[in-house]
Amino acid sequence: MNAELIPAVLFYLFAGVLVLSAMMVVASRNPVHSVLFLILAFFNAAGLFLLLGAEFAAFILVIVYVGAVAVLFLFVVMMLDIDFEQLRKGAWKSLPVGILVGLVLVSQMVMTAVNWQSLPTAGSSILSPAARHAAATNTQAVGAILYTDYVYPFQIAGLILLVAMIGAIVLTLRDRGGVLRQNINSQITRKASDVVEVRKVQKGAGIS
Amino acid sequence: MMPITIHHFLAVAAILFTIGVFGIFLNRKNIIVILMSIELILLSVNINFVAFGAQLGDLTGQVFTLFVLTVAAAEAAIGLAILVVYFRNRNTIAVDDINMMKG
Amino acid sequence: MEMTSLYPVASEIFLACAGMLLLLWGATAGEKSTGAITVATGIAFIIAIFMAGHYETAKAVVMGGHVGSNAYVLFIKVLLLLSALASLVLSQHFLKSSKLSRPEYPVLVLFATLGMMLMVSAESLLGLYMGLELQSLTLYVLAAFRRDNAKSSESGLKYFVLGALASGLLLYGISLIYGGSGTILFGMLHEVVTADKPPVELVLGFVFILAAMAFKISAVPFHMWTPDVYEGAPTPVTAFFAAAPKLAGIALLIKLLYGPFHGLLAQSTPIILVLSVASMTLGAFAAIAQSNIKRMMAYSSIGHVGFALVGLVAGGQEGVQATLLYLLIYLPMTLGAFGIILSLRRDGVYLEQISDLAGLSKTRPALAAIMTVFMFSMMGIPPLAGFFSKFYVFLAVVEARYVWLAVLGVCLSVVGAYYYLRIIKIMYFDKQMEGFQRVPGWGVASLLGVTVLFILTLAVKPDWALSITHDAAKALIG
Repeated sequence: MNAELIPAVLFYLFAGVLVLSAMMVVASRNPVHSVLFLILAFFNAAGLFLLLGAEFAAFILVIVYVGAVAVLFLFVVMMLDIDFEQLRKGAWKSLPVGILVGLVLVSQMVMTAVNWQSLPTAGSSILSPAARHAAATNTQAVGAILYTDYVYPFQIAGLILLVAMIGAIVLTLRDRGGVLRQNINSQITRKASDVVEVRKVQKGAGIS
Repeated sequence: MMPITIHHFLAVAAILFTIGVFGIFLNRKNIIVILMSIELILLSVNINFVAFGAQLGDLTGQVFTLFVLTVAAAEAAIGLAILVVYFRNRNTIAVDDINMMKG
Repeated sequence: MEMTSLYPVASEIFLACAGMLLLLWGATAGEKSTGAITVATGIAFIIAIFMAGHYETAKAVVMGGHVGSNAYVLFIKVLLLLSALASLVLSQHFLKSSKLSRPEYPVLVLFATLGMMLMVSAESLLGLYMGLELQSLTLYVLAAFRRDNAKSSESGLKYFVLGALASGLLLYGISLIYGGSGTILFGMLHEVVTADKPPVELVLGFVFILAAMAFKISAVPFHMWTPDVYEGAPTPVTAFFAAAPKLAGIALLIKLLYGPFHGLLAQSTPIILVLSVASMTLGAFAAIAQSNIKRMMAYSSIGHVGFALVGLVAGGQEGVQATLLYLLIYLPMTLGAFGIILSLRRDGVYLEQISDLAGLSKTRPALAAIMTVFMFSMMGIPPLAGFFSKFYVFLAVVEARYVWLAVLGVCLSVVGAYYYLRIIKIMYFDKQMEGFQRVPGWGVASLLGVTVLFILTLAVKPDWALSITHDAAKALIG
């Protein structure tokens, strides 16, 4: 097979499935199906990343998105008892206009994309040339700059995750009364002498 | 067959972006699908960044993608938390259309 | 890396560390520590102001070029910290009486302020995005903070959905700019993006970014979220929304217009012009129909954003200075008005409806008089501070030969005066309602005193305000 053909076939495969599954995400009637199509879309986007040589980003996309975010969505969809039929009422009323606007928008955006031209100076103003790490793997190259040149956004990313944690806890955590919890301390500090009573049982009298 | 260039990737990202925006306006009441549409928009941005980075021979695009992924995960967590709180109060996730001149 | 290279972000580093320590304190000590943590957060803000004033005056770009400081950034940072401090003071009693007194509240306000400071001091599109997201995510949580209240969680949800969409637009724009220019650093963009036939790719990217920024400052037609969010969020949070994020958004917009994208001014000025006229118009007319005072304040803030943007239409150092002066005066007016709203409580419920103000001049004459000062100032009646802010903005725009815009602005101020006057009329001439309970605590009262003093005396001594805004504008453009 022709060496140029394989990336092209793979590109059209990944891109086609990606676009179709993205359409299904917004159009499917059942939100569980939407989440599953979202996962499919993430996998195919990861395929596109691989074609572009961004291996680390591809794997992070699968691990973080499919592994965490999509599962979180699935969890919420299934945890909340939502009447989805009621939500659909009237949702498609504006469909014809929507499709028209969407087609205009998509044709404009694609026109810009297809005729894309970077500034002639773009190649010389880049910040972290990949050529500097030609001998390293993609993951090593990303790691080498992530904790040095990009340590500042990296620290803020930490703060953002902290805020997300505080926010999720402060909004959803509630103490419910009447929940039985294991108290390990009281379990292991219990002494037999405190709770077990040895009695002599008289024959025929029973325990009073 | 045409060789695959950056323009192909940019076109895919543009289509994905439009689908995401379209999804938000189509499913105005179903917040969960809106959140997923936002994830699609961010995915299209990520494809843009990685494609431009590859084109320019620059790692900045990939690093930016990693940060977008991180923030998007945090955003999804906050969004779903607010959604859960809203559901507890209202027993539905339908939000009235934004009414601009509500008195 | 030497320590001195961290000086331009000294106050941010301090705030981040303080926030994490306060969080630990709150997590271990529980809800009873909220009061102490609020006070500690306020002290942290004051220390940060002094650190910023001490270390961050010099012009510098550090940390891989992602963040920097100069006199403009310093000016905005100090204003942000002061408004965050004021909104903490405002929240004091409200949170206690609404059973929202949780240690996370001051910590979240701190992180939101930190995000705004980072966003204003960003020197790359990546730094900008991270700072913006830190503030936005925190603000979504704050809007929904009253979690057992359906309105509050609905406002959080609406803010989240539209905010996330705006972030998506911003990111798409950033990706186009990156692809077109090859860089994300402001300094580099400043050189690369030139006015001489800018490529359509970069213009398109910048339009996406402008749309996202218009959303963040709630300029018409990207204002849809504002009234609902302002109405639903807890009132101290609304006060915070009306002050700090607006300031940060407009400050960032100015920085983008005159920093990295100064080459696109010819393309962006018409967009700013449309945003400005639409915001002024909607702010003036839509506020008339409101009966809820928080919704009215929302439309009022939309109108004020429109007036502030007039200065940017004029452009240049004078225009930017006029906008900065407008913001400097807008903040105490708005925070003061919210101070009045948060001083009026009846049967455990804080003031919500405008009609509840009826006869306030009889029951609480001092508060009614102070509110009158704020309303007159917002109208732009001389010699109050609000007159100066409008005057300088219109002066700048007349000098830039947009006379019609100044005339339109004056006409819309007259329309807008209607609903401010209506409040005064209700307070002084409507039939007296049952009196309000006194809200205890010195915090709100002292805030009211400071803001009223500011508004009354700026006319007597406007020099310092003119000189600091002049220095800030010069640091950006000169």
